[in-house]
Amino acid sequence: MRSQRLWPVHVLLAVGAAAMVAPFLWQLLTSLQTLGEATHVPPTFLPGWRWSNYAEVFTSMPFLRQFLNTVVITVVRVAAQLLFCSMAAYAFARLRFPGRDVLFLVMLSVLMVPSQAYLLPQYQILMHLGLLNTLTGIVLPGLFSAFGTFMLRQFFLSLPLDVEEAARLDGAGPVRIFWSVMLPLAKPGLISLGVLTVLWSWNDLLWPLVVTSDAGRMPLSVGLATLQGEHVTDYPVLMAGSLLASLPMIVMFLVSQRRITEGIAFTGSK
Amino acid sequence: MTRKLSALLCAAALVAAASACSSSTSAAGGGDATGPVTLTYGIWDPNQKPAMQQIVTAFEKLHPNITVDIELTPNADYWQKLQTEAASGTAPDVFWMSTTRIGLYAGQGQLLPLSGRPGFESSPFPASLNGIYTVGGKQYGMPKDYDTIGLWYNKKLFDAAGVAYPTAAWTWQDVIDASKKLTDPAKGTWGIASPDWTQENLYNDIFQAGGWVVSPDKKSSGFTDAKTLSGMQYALDFITKYKTSPTAQQMTDTDPSQLFASGKVAMFTDGDWDALTYKNAPGLQADVAPLPAGPQGRATVINGLANVIYARTPHADAAWEFVRFLGGQQANAIQAASGAVIPAYHGLGDAWVKSMPQFHLQTFVDQLDHAVPYPVSANTGPWATADQTILDQIWAGKLSLNAGAQQLKSTTDADLAKG
Amino acid sequence: MPVTRTVGAEAASPSSAGSAAGSAVSVAAARAGARSRLARRVVARHGHPREWVWGYLMVAPLALGLAGFYLWPIVQSVYYSFTSWGAFGGQQWAGLANYRAFLSDPQLPKAAWNTVLYSLLLLASIPLSIVFAALLNQVRGRSVGLYRTLYFIPVVSMPAAVAMVWRWLYNGDYGLINYLLSLVGIHGPHWVSDGRFAVYAMALVGIWSVVGYNMIIFAAGLKGIPRHYYEAAQLDGAGRVRQFFSITLPLLSPSIFFVSVVTVISGLQMFDYVLLMLGRSNPALADSKTIAYLFYEYVFLDHEQGMGCAIAVVLTVALLLLTAVQFRVQKRWVHYA
Repeated sequence: MRSQRLWPVHVLLAVGAAAMVAPFLWQLLTSLQTLGEATHVPPTFLPGWRWSNYAEVFTSMPFLRQFLNTVVITVVRVAAQLLFCSMAAYAFARLRFPGRDVLFLVMLSVLMVPSQAYLLPQYQILMHLGLLNTLTGIVLPGLFSAFGTFMLRQFFLSLPLDVEEAARLDGAGPVRIFWSVMLPLAKPGLISLGVLTVLWSWNDLLWPLVVTSDAGRMPLSVGLATLQGEHVTDYPVLMAGSLLASLPMIVMFLVSQRRITEGIAFTGSK
Repeated sequence: MTRKLSALLCAAALVAAASACSSSTSAAGGGDATGPVTLTYGIWDPNQKPAMQQIVTAFEKLHPNITVDIELTPNADYWQKLQTEAASGTAPDVFWMSTTRIGLYAGQGQLLPLSGRPGFESSPFPASLNGIYTVGGKQYGMPKDYDTIGLWYNKKLFDAAGVAYPTAAWTWQDVIDASKKLTDPAKGTWGIASPDWTQENLYNDIFQAGGWVVSPDKKSSGFTDAKTLSGMQYALDFITKYKTSPTAQQMTDTDPSQLFASGKVAMFTDGDWDALTYKNAPGLQADVAPLPAGPQGRATVINGLANVIYARTPHADAAWEFVRFLGGQQANAIQAASGAVIPAYHGLGDAWVKSMPQFHLQTFVDQLDHAVPYPVSANTGPWATADQTILDQIWAGKLSLNAGAQQLKSTTDADLAKG
Repeated sequence: MPVTRTVGAEAASPSSAGSAAGSAVSVAAARAGARSRLARRVVARHGHPREWVWGYLMVAPLALGLAGFYLWPIVQSVYYSFTSWGAFGGQQWAGLANYRAFLSDPQLPKAAWNTVLYSLLLLASIPLSIVFAALLNQVRGRSVGLYRTLYFIPVVSMPAAVAMVWRWLYNGDYGLINYLLSLVGIHGPHWVSDGRFAVYAMALVGIWSVVGYNMIIFAAGLKGIPRHYYEAAQLDGAGRVRQFFSITLPLLSPSIFFVSVVTVISGLQMFDYVLLMLGRSNPALADSKTIAYLFYEYVFLDHEQGMGCAIAVVLTVALLLLTAVQFRVQKRWVHYA
């Protein structure tokens, strides 16, 4: 009875799912063909098992190097954002000090401004610091996040006051309370922020595109854009490269699917 | 715990403070000639990096106190980065220069003149290249390599259609006739690919028609000249009149050199630099012939790179030693053996020609006799970019050739007037 | 909006404190206790000075970082928008010249329209995601996780990679889409190299890549709607469709509002796909540029940084205005439970 009523639902969901996944299957198929097979009319739906397209990716771009770069960039950004944002968010949510709310509003204004409004001066700051074409340079502005602070502050505000009060009565100072009482409580919020930062950092294009030109210092997103610049429309090689670049994030998602979806659902509810 | 945290805070504050005051200047290394010196060498082609590294190693052996670091920037970003670095005084000491940018860089005092340096010699290089890299009577670039354009063709498609291979005797009409015979819509093959690319296609046709792009005094452009127009018309007719070339949209979706490499296109005018690509394309049996003769005879565009010295380098003497070495026979022989480019040095083309015996690469060297320099002005970049946008519109059928030519002329002339 | 609420509270407190001071009965008593009372009042509002120190210290890293890398650059961008730059550096005051040049740029109307059009098309992802979220909400068991995974793969894929895949799918001669269309007798266009189609083609990719993300937000919103609302409606004889419009949609409106604000903000900054799916030499580019792409072109390709900053300032103002309007209008249709 119940399953009978549900089959149209499954059909609709399956059609949608097919539309979501089909491009990736086509990408995989093309990545294993020669250019001649890929441009055959009508299309051939059999892979040519041409693994050399993948080898070509590794010779055209320092893939492993760029993969490591992306990992390092992402790890540093996530760690820094979690630390800086949670400290500031806790202070904004719970500590009292003159100018707190004005300061918070000023920080928040960054959220409202498109990245184009600070891109060029950021670039110049890095240039003057001699940090163009360095991982430090790519990472630096992304260590600080107005969004993360806002999100975690909301989270701290939603936590009950009594645990904190109890700790205070026990004589714990603000830092102790923050570090050993509040942070553990804020774990779901921290995980959400961490997940979103990983996603953003891994896929970020414009900033690293602007500040790196040395293939050895690029993250994968820029390396891929450069690969397209060199192989213009050599689709099999481009498909192989883009598949390799996307794969780590897809695997990470499959592994920690629940965390990620919870994290996103959390931002949507605020 | 507290101590750890405050240490972190201090570190963070330091980072932020250092970035807030953005006026720190990078200290220039010691400029004295006796101490060890490190030069940076800016290039953009990953295919040529091994050869460049070999040259650097050979140079360092002769000059033990000089180290050279190669900085590779992909072509798509090279000029953007270079210009920003030059503005802040941080460009590489020695770098690659193209004909389209020499006017800007030399004209704005970003380069050191080579003329008058001890041991400077321009005679081993083609006069047309020396000419392009001479601005205001002084030569700024040491020619590195050169390239010309040839008519690449797919032997299999020619055989299948029973058409004789192109020869040096071919004219425009021969190409048109052949392209008609070679086009087969049922199989999805075209006789020729005629994109709106200037160096590979349009400029050659314009010169073969007797037209011109930029006047010798660099004050006006020739896009509305009847002969120039007939050259452009010839290239466009393959798409609009004979329908023997893929359309502009098709060639955007799939690059013409890829269409040629995958056997969809029988003829394609392209530079020597793609020889390696066509050699490695699976199943492709190609060769190359000289460009056909137009109403005013033969012509091919010649272009080439040069090595230049940054005006604000702290190591001018060491940089000159390096550039002088780059312009010498030994360095050019290394380039030739690598097969990636034709070295600019006279008489070294042979080694390159022999590197791919399946192609008649000698064609590219022989065409030097009727080579026309790539058209440039004091600041080529802006009008070349603007022209490409207008050409894209003409090729896409959104502008008629005549209306487009008017726009090309007015845009280019306006930029030329800025000097 | 918790932010405005706190600000409002702060704005109100000084005046109430002032009136309290004004109504002090005894001058002498007031004088005697003024110091300690003031101190106590300060402590009540701002906490203990010891707390201040920790407050400032904990905010400092973030505040310095944001000030150095965001706030100060924003100020600089505004300044740059009034300057003109030489090819190799050196700025000159140019007054309003950049703004005048930008407003009379023949590319502007088309780029502005493309930006708006793209954002509007992107909004189509909202009804689509609500439908999928509602469908997903009906399903129980293992298949939920499977669907969620499949819908989410486009979200986690790198935009640079996604752009390439779709560029290939859209290929006029050899692309999968035109092949499928040809099976039903339609001769498909050159999607990304024909100016008439490119913006729509990019918007379709934008929708495709964001449906999974929005779906998760809406699914969470749907979970939050109490079952008994539907049970009551059922007793009243309301059908499925009626329930959807009178219960689901209104109670989902906070999520819809959040998603539409985020969608519009990201839509107006569209840049990646123009660069990656179309590329710099494409006959469709002139018809498909967005404002954010114009910014990139002026600043990083044409080296007209002053002009680029003027565009950034205009874009910022437009975004702020639009967000303000959205917040204003939300009061009419968003129901906070």
